[in-house]
Amino acid sequence: MAEHYSSFERGGRRWLWQRITAAFLVIVLAFHFFLLHFVHHADEVTFAMSSARMEQWTYYSLMILFLVTATFHGVNGVFNALVNQGIEGTRKKAVKWTLVAASLLLIVQGVRTANAWAGITLLPF
Amino acid sequence: MSTQVPEQTEEESSADTESQSQSAAQQARMEKKRDRAAQRDQQREAEEAEREFSEDGTYLLKVFRYDPEIAGKQEPRFDEFHVPYHTGMTVLDALMYARDEYDSSLTFRHSCRQAVCGSDALFVNGRQRLGCKTQLSDLEEPVRIEPLPHQEVVKDLVVDMEHFYDQMHAVEPYFQTNDLPEGEQLQSRENREKIKMSTRCIWCGACMSSCNIAAGDNKYLGPAAINKAYRFTMDEREGEDMKEHRMKIMEQEHGVWRCQTQFSCTEVCPKDIPLTEHIQELKREAVKNNLKFW
Amino acid sequence: MSQSYNRGLIEDFGRWKEFSAGMWAWIFHKFTGWVLVGYLFTHIAVLSTALTGAAAYTETIQTLESLLVVRILEVGLLAVAVFHILNGLRLLLVDLGVGLHAQDKSFYASLALTGAIVVASVPTFLAGVF
Repeated sequence: MAEHYSSFERGGRRWLWQRITAAFLVIVLAFHFFLLHFVHHADEVTFAMSSARMEQWTYYSLMILFLVTATFHGVNGVFNALVNQGIEGTRKKAVKWTLVAASLLLIVQGVRTANAWAGITLLPF
Repeated sequence: MSTQVPEQTEEESSADTESQSQSAAQQARMEKKRDRAAQRDQQREAEEAEREFSEDGTYLLKVFRYDPEIAGKQEPRFDEFHVPYHTGMTVLDALMYARDEYDSSLTFRHSCRQAVCGSDALFVNGRQRLGCKTQLSDLEEPVRIEPLPHQEVVKDLVVDMEHFYDQMHAVEPYFQTNDLPEGEQLQSRENREKIKMSTRCIWCGACMSSCNIAAGDNKYLGPAAINKAYRFTMDEREGEDMKEHRMKIMEQEHGVWRCQTQFSCTEVCPKDIPLTEHIQELKREAVKNNLKFW
Repeated sequence: MSQSYNRGLIEDFGRWKEFSAGMWAWIFHKFTGWVLVGYLFTHIAVLSTALTGAAAYTETIQTLESLLVVRILEVGLLAVAVFHILNGLRLLLVDLGVGLHAQDKSFYASLALTGAIVVASVPTFLAGVF
């Protein structure tokens, strides 16, 4: 079962990661909502305040991890929904790579935004 | 549902306890118990009597009809049958009455009439049920009887079961092992207990028909086949090699992972098999196995 | 069997009145999931106005937050997120094989709890918009 082509690659690993990210997201999404709607209020948002939070490396890394896990969980969920509908062959491949591309785009854009707040200019764009 | 066995055992057990201890509290409790039993009986009798004599004593069935081979019957329709009711009448009894007395062309599968052969799974009042195990008195009128959803209709209430049987065969639904012991191959009581419920499957296809995912994804093994696989995977007598072989079938993308825990199958299973529970256990088993090998 | 009659969609959502708790939980979970993933993309798009400058970002967010519609949509988003979280916890338990016999009750509980949390949050979410 340790072979490279282990069937676990095909569905099981994604299944497990969907649950692991779920457990993480439950906590972080609740925290996110609580912090930005109850501790602070949505109408008081300013660039400076977002920036102050993002300059702390703990908050920054939590938000990056939040972005990545949420993107995986959401996009993988969409893909699962389509597989459950019986999507197959070329259409399945097309959907898969479109979703992968969209996820990458989202993560890059999210990281760039976070960097703008944190004042990081690691990326050359 | 139709037998009277429970009452008998109740009497026996109360006789037993009476002879053993006669404390006042115990007596009072037994008294109450008897009262409650009597009340129940009375109520049941009253209900039955009411049912039997209410209106004209018939049940109205609306039965799905379709016959691809006869010109006038190719358009699906519902036929109505007024079937005279008698106590204990099941949906299957009613269908047989309708066929024997009113329309001999009415087609449906049935055989043992006691929830063992699995031939007469039907879609009754919007739910997959066994015709022979469903009391008319438990249903609202009119009783709407349709063939199982998500399977092609061959004629009237008969659906094509081929795809279901393909799914069942895909999991190799038979005992196999490569380590044969000298004598008898005994199973431990605990292990028997573990697989007990999963052995009760009668291949009626009600679960598969109720499953929203099996309807969309034709390659999904479906609850019945996965339960059958569970029955053998969890049977310790097959040995480790076979277990690994079976897990490989279960772990495919269209195996256990497609189950979305909607519990539809578990709810309609006429043999009360905890299908979702079994599928979930196989998922965890697969994850555990694979983590071990990483 | 190509000539046999296909009953089409009637077999699925036409039957919605007959759906049981587990099925409803799945439908709601899927619906809220679609909303959340859609919102994730929108959220990042709106936030990336921060890339054009501090003033532009503050301006965008505060304009949006001054609209009643946006505030109401936010309450909707909260409802969707809370349900997805609570039912997600229920599904995690189901995956661990815990409390499968109470799966319908835990669905009703997550619905009720979602309702309670959303109602209690309405004042906070609408504060200052009127």
